[in-house]
Amino acid sequence: MADTTIDARPKKRRIQFTWRNTDIFWVIGVVLLLIGSIGLYQRMTQGLAPTALGSYVPWGLWVGFYDYLVWLEVGSLLVFTTLVYLVSFKRLAQLKPLVLFTGFTVLLMALLIVLLDLGQATRFWHVIIYPTFSSMITWMVWLHILYMFILVAELALVLGIVKMNEARAAKILKLLAYLSLPIGLGLIIVSGSVFGVVAARPLWNTSSLPLMFLVSSLAAGSGLILLLAVLFWPDKKSTDYVEVVTRLSRITAWFLLAGIFSASVIGFTTLYGGNPSRTAAMQLILTGPFWWSFWIVHVLLGVFIPILLLFFRGHQPKWAGIAAFLSVVTFVAVTLNVVIPVLATPELEGLATAFVHAKLNFDYVPNLMEWQTILFVFGLGGVIYGLGLRWLPILEKKN
Amino acid sequence: MSQVEEKTTTTGTTDAPDSTRRSFLRTLFGTAGLAAVAATPAGRMLEDKTDISVYTIGRQTGAVPEIDTDADVITRMNGDLARALQKQPAERRWVMVIDLRKCVGCHACTIACVAENKLPPGVVYRPVLEEEWGTYPNVGRRFVPRPCMQCDNPPCVPVCPVGATFTNEEGIVEMNYERCIGCRYCITACPYSARTADFGFTYNDGLPIADGLIIGQTTADDYERISNFEYGRGYDRPEGERSSPIGNARKCHFCQHRIKEGVLPACVTTCIGRATYFGDANDSFALVTGLITSPNVMRLKEELGTEPRVYYLA
Repeated sequence: MADTTIDARPKKRRIQFTWRNTDIFWVIGVVLLLIGSIGLYQRMTQGLAPTALGSYVPWGLWVGFYDYLVWLEVGSLLVFTTLVYLVSFKRLAQLKPLVLFTGFTVLLMALLIVLLDLGQATRFWHVIIYPTFSSMITWMVWLHILYMFILVAELALVLGIVKMNEARAAKILKLLAYLSLPIGLGLIIVSGSVFGVVAARPLWNTSSLPLMFLVSSLAAGSGLILLLAVLFWPDKKSTDYVEVVTRLSRITAWFLLAGIFSASVIGFTTLYGGNPSRTAAMQLILTGPFWWSFWIVHVLLGVFIPILLLFFRGHQPKWAGIAAFLSVVTFVAVTLNVVIPVLATPELEGLATAFVHAKLNFDYVPNLMEWQTILFVFGLGGVIYGLGLRWLPILEKKN
Repeated sequence: MSQVEEKTTTTGTTDAPDSTRRSFLRTLFGTAGLAAVAATPAGRMLEDKTDISVYTIGRQTGAVPEIDTDADVITRMNGDLARALQKQPAERRWVMVIDLRKCVGCHACTIACVAENKLPPGVVYRPVLEEEWGTYPNVGRRFVPRPCMQCDNPPCVPVCPVGATFTNEEGIVEMNYERCIGCRYCITACPYSARTADFGFTYNDGLPIADGLIIGQTTADDYERISNFEYGRGYDRPEGERSSPIGNARKCHFCQHRIKEGVLPACVTTCIGRATYFGDANDSFALVTGLITSPNVMRLKEELGTEPRVYYLA
């Protein structure tokens, strides 16, 4: 049973964001924008040529980050909506503007990354005008846009941008929240199915993958809410705060355990199955050149340590915050390990040497330009987030 | 004497038939012989044509060559092609057959394809894979040219979010460059890695400027920037622009622009070992029809159910 006493040792400084000190977000954002603008400039002037992507590994860092951000954006709102509206965890409700705005910022970042990944980005609207509903990407784009509309509508109501009667607004908000559940679930499942339906890639082609996406999204999302609670909760001396942190810690820890289970199912069935076309990609994840991204970044820092902290120190906001931070930040290693190693496994023997060019190889390592572009997107997200927290009625101003 | 055996004979993979058989077949497949096969489905099909001895293909008009089983395979396939083009497009079934026993791994087909379609660096439609197996001294080696398989159930088509890739009425998987958004989903979905992305390179990137000379970036790259004629359209690559097909997925299309003019795909005519065959598998007399009904035929990754139209003889 968790200790519910307040961990209030006044001599120690706590990280406490209020509307006054959120400038740090946009200041860091501007720095990242400046660093990242070099990569963006290359992207705008030379297309995808300067990337390390090629024809055999056509998706890489950007697609990995896109899925990661979708996990965060949708997972956090799924968990939040379920807790507040379905489980009636009312104490959490005061974080609603913050969670919605965080989700909205992450959504914009995700859409920008995937836009930059398109070879003909100016034609993105073709997916709306000429949709092919046999394609998971069509569903993903449509659901994502629908999800964005729901989020924008919720934000407009929560932030009072659209004025209306309070009771009526609450009713519509509840309706939108309920609507966001199936749309969000659909978006996550479809994001996993983008890979899951590809029969050409045996390790992707499993019905477990979309479910793994869902569980991972819920784990990353609940971790994000926990992190937001630790950083932004207005009154940290209240018992509500400790209770919220403790409960969110438990929820995140259980989702992380569920994530271990779902990933293990895929891992063990693949390895015991022994089908070389599947095991080759799995071996690349487990023992390839980037084994550390799986074992150290994800398993150790993202899952093992956070689970221990959340189960045994989850009632202490500092440790819960550290665990949530570790988990949220390192989850990107999962999406990158889902996307890249499978593509880096040749489909046919002899392909790597049949026709030689830098864009026809299987040794993909994201280059500086790709990372810079990611920094640009995060910088832009930081600026939007910082300015939003500063000027929109998201955080209470009574401090 | 079965038709299958005869087709195999024309490829030179079995002993030459005796003169009696040959003369019989000449008679059978000659102009007069066509009437004798009119009772067959193929014969009825031919009979429907008003004048089967004359063809009009693109800008060309000429006499349809007689079926000559002794002719060089290129000559024979040219006749097969001319005959096929008299039919409605939906009645044709283009297939390619590659005899792995004859391929010497010269990569001429790869280069011919690059030249024909003006493929930029990093884009390849028909690489030749080299496979080795065994342990010295018990080793084997073979060369496997790998064009687009033009699958009857192409995994690349349904995954395209904008319908930019599709199977045309002749069964060839095409690209609509103007529609493609460059998401590269089709590239990941192809089990044969038969699609490549055009990143916009040119072979003369980084060459020195040498105005007035036939070398140098300003002059030598003209060749790369003028149009190719994929899908019967001109796609040039003007300097400084990133218009299609740059940013798109690209793939082999069996040289449709040549086929429509009655010319065999570039990889077929260039093959020095006569290892690549092309034709209409709906034509009982076509060379390829005999080849793909031989028992030593195989297709890549058949277990996926993609029904490739590229067959390998092993």
